[in-house]
Amino acid sequence: MKKRYALRFSPTLVEQPIVSKLVRIYDVDINILNADVASGRGGKLIVELSGGQEALEESVAYLNEIGIIVSEMVKELIFLEDACIDCGACTAVCSPKALSLDEEAMLRFDASLCVVCGLCVQACPLRLFSVSDERGA
Amino acid sequence: MAKTVAQINEKIRGGTVVVVSAEEFSKMARSVDLATLAEEVDIVTTATFAPMCSSGAIINFGHWTPPIRMEEIRLNGVSAYEGLAAVDTYIGATAESKFDPTYGGAHVIEALIRGDDVRLQAHGKGTDCYPTREVDTWINKETVNEFYLFNPRNAYQNYAAATNSTGKIKYTYMGSLLPRFSNVTYSTSGELSPLLNDPYLRTIGLGTRIFLGGTIGYVVWNGTQYNTRRERTVDGVPTLGGATLAVVGDAKAMSTEYIKSAYYEKYGVSLFVGIGIPIPVLDEEMAAHLAITNDRITTSIVDFGKEDHPPLRSVTYAELASGSVKLDGERQVKTAPLSSLAKAREIAALLKAWIEEKRFFLTQAVSNLPTDSFVRPLVPREGGK
Repeated sequence: MKKRYALRFSPTLVEQPIVSKLVRIYDVDINILNADVASGRGGKLIVELSGGQEALEESVAYLNEIGIIVSEMVKELIFLEDACIDCGACTAVCSPKALSLDEEAMLRFDASLCVVCGLCVQACPLRLFSVSDERGA
Repeated sequence: MAKTVAQINEKIRGGTVVVVSAEEFSKMARSVDLATLAEEVDIVTTATFAPMCSSGAIINFGHWTPPIRMEEIRLNGVSAYEGLAAVDTYIGATAESKFDPTYGGAHVIEALIRGDDVRLQAHGKGTDCYPTREVDTWINKETVNEFYLFNPRNAYQNYAAATNSTGKIKYTYMGSLLPRFSNVTYSTSGELSPLLNDPYLRTIGLGTRIFLGGTIGYVVWNGTQYNTRRERTVDGVPTLGGATLAVVGDAKAMSTEYIKSAYYEKYGVSLFVGIGIPIPVLDEEMAAHLAITNDRITTSIVDFGKEDHPPLRSVTYAELASGSVKLDGERQVKTAPLSSLAKAREIAALLKAWIEEKRFFLTQAVSNLPTDSFVRPLVPREGGK
């Protein structure tokens, strides 16, 4: 399996040979997609790890343990549901019907049906939707 | 036997008044005859909570020392009207901030209702009466003298549903219209909507007391673009546009639960306004109007992909509310509302509670709204004659 992560480093961690350790100890392949690191400054690395599920989990655990802030790169819809007025404008653009009005005309959001197309971000007159790129791992 | 508004108010005082919402009334009419309903039910509450662009607020800021005659008035960066007396203004809901087109008059109004501080900037030319040339300060609803909504056109009786024939998404005041007839949007609370329940405005006129934005408001005129010449169904309901209301209410007493700012992508700013109107069941004729159901209210689906918005087909609100309609032959197209039925129901229930708690009494209109009025277009002309 393949997963993408954002790794955030403090300046001291930049000096550690993290990539080679991951390869040697956890047997995962690493594809660096974007790197913004410099000695003495810290930085951010976007990587794709491939390997078995256990190997990926152990790699993430190791990275967290040594103080790297790891987040998985996933597109996810964020919905500020408490402020919703149930107008239904978002349902007009939601083809997979993740957003729908129930029998009481209240808005329901079923995240399992959401394909994160982002059309509701523009459709909501109260601007209650946004698409995130990362979540904590 | 026919009832009068005065008799109904007596029942409110005596605690014997019978109030139901328009949806409940329509349901009751399935099993109870109209004569009995007219006898037993006194008031039907109707409501809507929808974006209504033609809305705004009058504010009097109070005088500065030494005084200023305010020009170029801005509230949180949004321009407000300067052509009234020294410290009076009108801020329109759709006025946009110079700095952020997604922020506008509606947001300023909502912020003030919430109790937030709002930045006031104004210039003056400096005269003997009004020497101050510049004011930059903060106001809120406690510091200003008057702050009331005055909405020139609200509560449209009926409105066209929208779709889009072009190959590109269209961003409109009817929401995001997907390409190639892929959705249909509509804006109404249907059988719960005020003016669909009193199609000839027999009980709604100048001075009618209503629920507006969470407090008591009044109908003060016919709304702009008031049209009595629309085609009507056998029940008397206009098949498009129709009547509108101009309303007023003390914004200081309103709630952001029932007044909400909105931004429609690439269209602009608007204001959700909550309106509730109690309709007295004076007689069997009123009962017949109030028994209207969504399958008997029609509108047209029009194409926002073409400049003149040509109608494609007639449709009932029952069909629109079902989630999909047939369009373009056999295709089932998804439908979606823009007005909140859930909120409208909340308002109808709240208004019913106010009446039952003797906090809200009905009014007899001071004068009826126009019986013959139509909408003129603006035509190009040269010269001044």
